[in-house]
Amino acid sequence: MKRLRENEHITGYVFSAPFVLGFLIFTLYPILSSLYYSFTNYNLMEAPRWLGLANYERLFLEDDKIGKSFQVTFTYVFASVPLRLIFALFVAMILNTATKAVGLYRSAFYLPSLIGGSVAVAIMWQQIFGDKGLVNSALSLFGIHSTTSWIGNPSTALWTLIALSIWQFGSSMIIFLAGLKNIPRDYYEAASVDGANAVHRFFKITLPMLSPIILFNLTLQTISAFLTFTPAYIISRGEGGPLDQTLLYSLYLYRKAFSHFEMGYASALAWIMLLIVGVLTLLIFRSSTRWVHYESKGD
Amino acid sequence: MKKVLTAVLMFSLIGSLIGCSGGGAAETPASNETGTETPPAAASDSKDPVKLRIAWWGGQSRHDYTLKVIEMYEAQNPHVTIEPEYAPFDDYWKKLAPQAVAGGLPDIIQMDISYLNQYAGRNQLADLKPFTESGELDVADVSENALSGGEVNGKLVALNLGVNALQTTFDVETMKKNGIDIPSKEWTWDDMDKMGAQAKEKGLQIGGFAYRHDVFFPYYLRTIGQKMYSADGKTIGYGDDQAFIDYFTRYQKWYDNGYILSLDKEAQKKGVAEEDEIVLGNSISGTGWSNQFLAVANLVTDRPLELNPMPGPGTKDGLFLKPSMYFSVTETSKHKEEAAKFISFFINDIEANKLIKGERGVPVSAKVKEALKPLLSENEAKIFDYVTWAEANSTQGDPPNPIGAVEIEKLLRDLSERILFKKISIEDAAAEFRKEANAILARSQQ
Repeated sequence: MKRLRENEHITGYVFSAPFVLGFLIFTLYPILSSLYYSFTNYNLMEAPRWLGLANYERLFLEDDKIGKSFQVTFTYVFASVPLRLIFALFVAMILNTATKAVGLYRSAFYLPSLIGGSVAVAIMWQQIFGDKGLVNSALSLFGIHSTTSWIGNPSTALWTLIALSIWQFGSSMIIFLAGLKNIPRDYYEAASVDGANAVHRFFKITLPMLSPIILFNLTLQTISAFLTFTPAYIISRGEGGPLDQTLLYSLYLYRKAFSHFEMGYASALAWIMLLIVGVLTLLIFRSSTRWVHYESKGD
Repeated sequence: MKKVLTAVLMFSLIGSLIGCSGGGAAETPASNETGTETPPAAASDSKDPVKLRIAWWGGQSRHDYTLKVIEMYEAQNPHVTIEPEYAPFDDYWKKLAPQAVAGGLPDIIQMDISYLNQYAGRNQLADLKPFTESGELDVADVSENALSGGEVNGKLVALNLGVNALQTTFDVETMKKNGIDIPSKEWTWDDMDKMGAQAKEKGLQIGGFAYRHDVFFPYYLRTIGQKMYSADGKTIGYGDDQAFIDYFTRYQKWYDNGYILSLDKEAQKKGVAEEDEIVLGNSISGTGWSNQFLAVANLVTDRPLELNPMPGPGTKDGLFLKPSMYFSVTETSKHKEEAAKFISFFINDIEANKLIKGERGVPVSAKVKEALKPLLSENEAKIFDYVTWAEANSTQGDPPNPIGAVEIEKLLRDLSERILFKKISIEDAAAEFRKEANAILARSQQ
């Protein structure tokens, strides 16, 4: 009997081995080595040299770019995430009322998200917002003749990236749609009988019922927005320009690591990013007790 | 029954795990091999199939003829297959860096003088001396001067492919048609101001320096007897910020007056000849290296373009012959000898050079240069003539840029943007440039 149990243990270990090994080798080891590198001067081609806290000192005290990079990144996150979620919810609600060909619409609206992170879309964006691009052509139809390049203009460059992010609302939309379908129709009917109009129904029923899903989407989208890299890299040709207006944190980190070969410093940057995202996620969760409504509280 | 099923699953799982680690084990010796430096003498002479990877930057015309040269080499050396990788200049270096980090650089990489120290100083480039001594890399017709441009710390880490000089391109016909004076060879910055004003009046522009102040600011410094970097590469070389202030004050005037292309349009350029403002008919002039003239001039088929020196005073001190680009063999290459042979073919083979035709700079091999002369097109002949003129009217070039120069070039680019967008005064930018650049150099030398 004892042997059988031991056998079962072994079976368990063997079956969990792929995940455990994968986690140890491909996640934990790189994370820990990046922590180590963040205390060293490491140019990737020669052995790292121990520096102590010098990288972090430089990051907080000497690096002028990093403030700019934070400003750009936070603007990007705080503008793109809420707008994307609002847009996703809006489309999801329209689709929820549609009766015919919902599947088709759903796929059509999801499409940008499937291809959204890709290089091709970023290049397309470059064309659309270029000086002879689609946007300027469209504007000229209305008599507005603009010859500036939207991606080359410091005051609009970041907003083209934010627009791209909003355009990729599909995955949040699908999740919202599933959430909307789960709200019992009785609630709406009961509210209508009591004389609630559409606005009331939205704020008193839809939003509270959907709040766990909003929390989920908000957390996920915030994290992924902080990690945005590809569009900024492609659209600014890796420079973060003009005037560092698209210098997202991840782009700056990449430049330090792979253009200037300062992997030690880049690792320190990565750890600061991890801390920020961690704290922000924690704040979202802490605040959620105030606004997220769970149907079964278990009391 | 359940037990049997579990056993089967377990075996298959263990099998796949072993399979994975087996793959890993098979790879380990290979990576060891790249780590240890095998002496070239030990490389085998057999005609085993060899696969070489080669990478370069450039525009479409360079890609086209380089692919043909590769085909030619493969036809003559059937055991060699060559895999090309190419990109525009900026993208090229962004692609190369992670490859260097991963130990996966191509066997042959095109090298630029600004990056030479960065790669050679970190032991990414193989010493080619053993191959020039053994004759596999034939440099008999290459001058000592041209060869030494590829030496770092006594090692020949890069082979010069051609010689370049800075030049201004004039669209002479458009200039005449619009009553714009065509400057002489001894022209000055003031003449360039005037040219800009005249062009602007006709709704045209002159070519600015785009983002390449890393090229033109050092040129300006040379014309006034100063240097970008100190001889030991540890600090900025010029003593007085007035040089920086004068250079950017003039440049800002061009920008504010609309003589040169606005930055938002400049930001969209990928750095290929097809989008050159002369080609598009918007600009009457351009600035660049002599070999860059060819791609632009070949795209402008209905009117001739001419090469002229850069503006002075001090043009002779400012101009220098620059190794246009190099081929380097990487330290991680497993076929260094075969790679050296290809480079030898590239610089010496007359038939191959009939395709190359000095597009990578005026050839370093005297024999090739002679053989090409009667075959040159009009535009190519203009480049050869200009570089020949520059040989007599230039001074010794600066040593390869110190490590950290790439970061300093980025700093200069960012500052130039902030100056032109009026986010910083030129005086403050000059001070900031000195402070930051010196900090970068100090950090890089650690």
